[in-house]
Amino acid sequence: MNRTLPVLLALALVLACAQLAPAQQDMKTLAPAAYGNKLTRPPAQFNHDQHNEKAKLADCVVCHHGGKDGKIDRSASTEGTPCADCHALKVQGKGTALTRAYHKQCIGCHQAKGKGPVACGQCHKR
Amino acid sequence: MNAAYEFVTGPLAWAAWGIFLLGSAWRLVSMYQLAKKKDASSLAFMDWGFSLRSIVNWLIPFNALGWRKSPAMTVATFAFHVCLLVGPIFLAAHVMLWDQFFGISYASLPDNVADVMTLVVIAACLYFAGRRLAQPEVRYITTGQDWLALVIVLAPFLTGFLAYHQVGGYELMIILHVVAGEIMLAAIPFTRLSHMVFAAFTRAYMGSEFGGVRHARDW
Amino acid sequence: MGIAERLIEDVGLRRGVSKLTPEKIERIVNAVISGETGARLKAYSETCMRCGLCAEACHFSQSHPDDPSFTPAGKVHQTMGVLLKTGGRVDADFIYGMAQLAYTECNLCRRCVHFCPIGVDTGYIMSTVRRICHKLGVTPQYIQDTAHSHSAVYNQMWVKDVEWTDSLQWQEDEAREEFPGLRIPLEKEGADIYYSVIAPEPKFRTQLIYQAAAIMHAAGVDWTMPAHPGWDNSDMCMFTGDFEMMGRLKRRHFESAQRLKVKRIVMGECGHAFRSVYDVGNRWLGWRWHPVPVMHAVEFYWELIQQGRITLAKKFPGPVTVQDPCNIVRGRGLEDKLREVTRFLVDGDIIEMHPNKEHNFCCAAGGGVINCGPPFKNQRVAGNEVKARQLAATAERGVKTVITPCHNCHGGLHDIIHHHKLGMDLKFLSDIIYECMVKPAA
Repeated sequence: MNRTLPVLLALALVLACAQLAPAQQDMKTLAPAAYGNKLTRPPAQFNHDQHNEKAKLADCVVCHHGGKDGKIDRSASTEGTPCADCHALKVQGKGTALTRAYHKQCIGCHQAKGKGPVACGQCHKR
Repeated sequence: MNAAYEFVTGPLAWAAWGIFLLGSAWRLVSMYQLAKKKDASSLAFMDWGFSLRSIVNWLIPFNALGWRKSPAMTVATFAFHVCLLVGPIFLAAHVMLWDQFFGISYASLPDNVADVMTLVVIAACLYFAGRRLAQPEVRYITTGQDWLALVIVLAPFLTGFLAYHQVGGYELMIILHVVAGEIMLAAIPFTRLSHMVFAAFTRAYMGSEFGGVRHARDW
Repeated sequence: MGIAERLIEDVGLRRGVSKLTPEKIERIVNAVISGETGARLKAYSETCMRCGLCAEACHFSQSHPDDPSFTPAGKVHQTMGVLLKTGGRVDADFIYGMAQLAYTECNLCRRCVHFCPIGVDTGYIMSTVRRICHKLGVTPQYIQDTAHSHSAVYNQMWVKDVEWTDSLQWQEDEAREEFPGLRIPLEKEGADIYYSVIAPEPKFRTQLIYQAAAIMHAAGVDWTMPAHPGWDNSDMCMFTGDFEMMGRLKRRHFESAQRLKVKRIVMGECGHAFRSVYDVGNRWLGWRWHPVPVMHAVEFYWELIQQGRITLAKKFPGPVTVQDPCNIVRGRGLEDKLREVTRFLVDGDIIEMHPNKEHNFCCAAGGGVINCGPPFKNQRVAGNEVKARQLAATAERGVKTVITPCHNCHGGLHDIIHHHKLGMDLKFLSDIIYECMVKPAA
């Protein structure tokens, strides 16, 4: 059984409480603190609940997957854990860096479904 | 939108890169075969040292007599070529695409720097166009091919600039940008842009003749 | 604007085009382009970006600043550019203009090389245009006459074999009054130096042979001249585009030297002949280099001076200026040796022309242009206002003498100096060496 997952989950919970992270309901953009204030582009537009409603996403694990060493595990949900908690800005060894994770996750799904933004400026709106 | 975007960034991109790389390789190989068949008395004098000597000396701004005698053009063409090559290769958005598609990641330019470089390319294109119209010695020799090459190069930078700033319909602009870039790549082996493929060799040949046979500088 | 508006009547060109048909033109143009050209022409015609930087290079375009049809790229545009675009479907009138332009408005000096970032060799393209003109039989009368002379008697000036040896013996005879022991050794096997000249020397510049003999004598050189054809190193066929004849001439020249088993060939102060022997003819014959080492007079004099074999009785009064001939400077890098020899000979400054050395402006006579004769003389002189300005600038600084180690440069500069009343003298190095050297007594 994957052991890092419970540890990460616990860590995420602690961090979430400590930072008093904004509730998902209020989320309009993807701009986690990990980027600091040095964003290359305007933050990607993302309204969590609206997106899931529109995309008819009920199962959290579609995005909030588990996994390790750069391999996605769709059987382990990380529901409630912000992406940046597992995906560091820069990775050493295996694993997926945060920006790449976002791009692969979002664009990959949009491409697979044939719906949703795929080009830079569609999410990073000015 | 998605289908169009996927098409232009997928099959069309493969086609454009394929035409560019294979086309350039084919042009180089066939040109070399032709040179071996028809230009043996030139090929025999090719020399690595003198080739590089000539290339290096011409890559230094204001070093060659020709550069010194046309300073405005020298500034324009050096700025243009540097920005034309460095800008797109190290543009953050392009680096990101390499990362996204192939997991290849490398250094990128700050966006504002890339933005200025794009403007430099656009401005240089306008300057070149202005020369073609206003300078008699350039207008006299300008052909449709020259305008075509200029438009092919201008298009991806202009659309890229507009797409980046999201001026005009972004979704249309980004697709136009990708297509324009692909047209440019695919056009390299088969238009005046082929000087990208051949110039190093024509320069090298001249350098070899002047260095090895004529014992004189060719710059 | 363009060549069609400045056509000059020439018997040779006119008779040539009168025999052309569209079919013949198309056939010959394509025979040359597909048969004799290859990657070079293809790459040049494709990658020339029409940037116009070469307009600054050419003495013709610099002397006609308001007429872009005189720029190197403009000249290619009007000739080879049209042939490639039309696939040779052009009319006889076009060929007339193309021939006039290629033979009389480009000296093949290659100054444009210093201006083309891509490295297009406009001289090569214009030579190829001339090659097509030659195969079409459309060549200016005067230069074609010299080419005919080459093919009939292996020299440029219809000099008969007996006249050649007569001229040498006459010069030897004259010189022996001044240098009693002097010889012009004919047919001496195994000599160190085979001295070859251009046919105008025995024809009407015999003093150059006299002077060369005097210098060889004073320097104690083991030298010879051939008594048989091969002695003329000049080559108007190279410039008309008659490459087959060029090859025959160069073969005869080299074989003449080989027959005499000499160590090396020294050529007189001629530019085009040097280009032909050193750079062009050898390649046509399939020799990468030369079967017998080849040396230009400037380098030979430099060597004699280095070895201390020339001593001066006096120095030539300066200041002087130096004309850098394209074929031995851009074509052989002799600019420094030329100046070292000049410094050795001259008392006073060398006032440089600007630009100079490999960037020097052409004389507008070379490349066979002066050999196209009187019909084109005015255009040639008008096409070199820049040279007049260069010369005038040195004259203002007190220069009376232009050292000019090339026959064509002599001819071209002479006409310019005369036309602009610059009042300057032209000298070969051998003129000055002969004038100033210690002449061995009997």
